[in-house]
Amino acid sequence: MTLPPDLTCRGALAMISAYLDGDLGATDCAAIERHCQRCRQCAGLLDGLRDTIGLCREAGDRALPEPIRTRAQARIRRLLEREKPSSGGQRN
Amino acid sequence: MNPSGEATRAAYAALVRGASTGDRDAMERLLMRAQEVAYRFSLLVCGDQADAEDVMQDALLKTYQHVGRIEDPEAFRTWLYTTVRNACLVKRRRRAGEPAHLESIEQGTTATRGEASNVDVPDKSRLPDQVVIDRWIGKRLSQALRTLPAPLRALVVMREIEGLSTREVATIMGISEASVKTRLHRARVKLRRQLEGL
Repeated sequence: MTLPPDLTCRGALAMISAYLDGDLGATDCAAIERHCQRCRQCAGLLDGLRDTIGLCREAGDRALPEPIRTRAQARIRRLLEREKPSSGGQRN
Repeated sequence: MNPSGEATRAAYAALVRGASTGDRDAMERLLMRAQEVAYRFSLLVCGDQADAEDVMQDALLKTYQHVGRIEDPEAFRTWLYTTVRNACLVKRRRRAGEPAHLESIEQGTTATRGEASNVDVPDKSRLPDQVVIDRWIGKRLSQALRTLPAPLRALVVMREIEGLSTREVATIMGISEASVKTRLHRARVKLRRQLEGL
């Protein structure tokens, strides 16, 4: 895909997620960047979406709440103990 | 796929290979990851703490039973999210008689242009669950996520929070990659708008 050099706001908006996801080639990236240099509204949206994605990624890095984690570990221990080959248990 | 997504998929595949050949440490780590995925997805998409713990248990058992039969370890992550998503759907369907939980995460797919859906209706009885989510991922993001219709929320959770690739999300949701991209863009813009208003 090659975007026109004089990209409109509508055109930029349609491609802004693809830009953020790294799905565009160098020429199209340059067209988005040029547009955002002269359009404060689209530049603001671009920054806002970038922040939004960043906030989500940070949330994905959060560890589970400690009580949930402790219960999860206990479940694993119980399961593996129950399924130990020496105890005669078998996987389904 | 972004590099971290690729690395995560490879890490899962390595754990699957280890677990399937008797490596107990790999098995424990894989089972923990399966439960983490189940908790995050279930709580963030469906918003119910009790259901989330049931879905964790389901993911734990199914992963344990499934791991020895996996032919393609690289596809494990897709299998896991599909399994977790299905378990959430079953939970929601079982609640069909409970007014506050009528809508499944499948419903409302087309109701994504600003109109409220059932899942967006505040329910005071579920406040403790919401407090858990607020404390965990931050009130601002939690509140903004809640305004999204459930299918878009599921998409954001998988793609943005969990870091799955567009292709993986498309496979899990049974839609095209183009649809994932279109819906994700819509979700991002809506989420941004909500975050700016908070």
